[in-house]
Amino acid sequence: MANAPTLGDDLQRLEEIVRRLEDETLELETALQLFEEGVGRLKAAQARLTEAETRVRQVLDDSATGDGPLRIEPLGG
Amino acid sequence: MTALDEAWTVSRLARMIKGRVEDGAEPVWVRGELVGIKRYPSGHLYFGLRDATSKVDCTIWRGVASRLRTELIEGAEVFALGMASVWEERTSLRFTVTQVLPAAAVGAQAQSVERIKQALLADGLLDPARKRPLPAFAARVVVITSVAGAVVHDIITVARRRWPSVELLVVNSAVQGETAPAELVRALHIVSRLDAIDCCIIGRGGGGKDDLAAFNDEAVCRAIAASPVPVISAVGHEVDVTLADLVADVRAATPSQAAEFALPDRHDVAVRVAGLHTALNRALRNLVTARRARMDRTRDRIGAALLDQLRRSERRLLTVQARLAPALSRAVDTRRSKLARLTAQLHALSPVAVLGRGYSLARAGDGRLLRQVADLPAGTAFTLTVADGAVAARVED
Repeated sequence: MANAPTLGDDLQRLEEIVRRLEDETLELETALQLFEEGVGRLKAAQARLTEAETRVRQVLDDSATGDGPLRIEPLGG
Repeated sequence: MTALDEAWTVSRLARMIKGRVEDGAEPVWVRGELVGIKRYPSGHLYFGLRDATSKVDCTIWRGVASRLRTELIEGAEVFALGMASVWEERTSLRFTVTQVLPAAAVGAQAQSVERIKQALLADGLLDPARKRPLPAFAARVVVITSVAGAVVHDIITVARRRWPSVELLVVNSAVQGETAPAELVRALHIVSRLDAIDCCIIGRGGGGKDDLAAFNDEAVCRAIAASPVPVISAVGHEVDVTLADLVADVRAATPSQAAEFALPDRHDVAVRVAGLHTALNRALRNLVTARRARMDRTRDRIGAALLDQLRRSERRLLTVQARLAPALSRAVDTRRSKLARLTAQLHALSPVAVLGRGYSLARAGDGRLLRQVADLPAGTAFTLTVADGAVAARVED
């Protein structure tokens, strides 16, 4: 979860790609590679935007100090 | 003034007085000294509140009296929350009290909050530079609150509207009452053990504004300051700023506002993504157009260079040619006159020319020249060549 690129990463990279593509001296081959990467990241970002389900879960710990094993369960379940 | 035949009844007067006192009245806190405390068998409490110049009779009804946590002590300075009312039967004015706080304790609590604030300040925990920015696109948000309250519901509502892809994790904790500070500290500890949390909302719904004590607790404040993730406080009170609000990275007035701070609005993000989409396409198109223009320019430059070279070669050729032509003709002239001279010489030496001067040549049938008498025995046939031709001849006997 922490390793997958976040939406923030995708948008930041997209902005960088657009910036690089604005350099007219860029090799055409590199430009096409960047463009393809950009399209992939756009799709990922759009997918994140259309995710609809807000998951709500409760973190439980039976110890008094909060140092016991953590359980993550559906809220109210 | 009314006429005698329009005289009011006593009860009308009493009702008028009651109305004047009670209509539109609001609860007020009154500070004063407790005097003449009487607890009746019915459970109602009667006492007076007094300051240097005035005294007001007060009542606490049985239901409130049984829940009262402050022991009423004769002569003690207290804050009493109540409303003025009139008892119609005697038209006597009463201050009906619903809550009593010992002034000493209030003062002590205020002093204690101030002391804790100074301690937090001294440790740099209220330094604005400590405040962390909230993540731009939260994917996982923890909410510390009482699951019995409305906070979770309020936050879910905002999340579904603004940023539905978020995952909400709830850590239950009392947010008021005696156990609240310890439970909040424990909840913050649990949050610190969770992975990949973008931020934490700690809060309570509106509720009683009198019990913010847990959010002024020193241990709670220090646990907030120690949180590995940014904390948004949402204590649900606009006016009173708690120490937790001061320590938190962001203060929100309500849990809903906290959720708005924590989560981006997907419509804004969609606009940004659409903008990037357009920019990406445009950038590539511009790049290709620019490249094509550059190629055209290059082609033109190469063409121009070639043409230029061609013209230069042509010019050089013409120059060479111009230099070459007179030289050639001079050479031809020289050769031509030499030829004439040679021709003349040749001509002078030609036997044909000698024949012209009257000589003749005698040749045998095989073309051999006949030079002496011995070559010409009698009867020999031979050819005699003269200037204009040859005749057949024979030596006579």
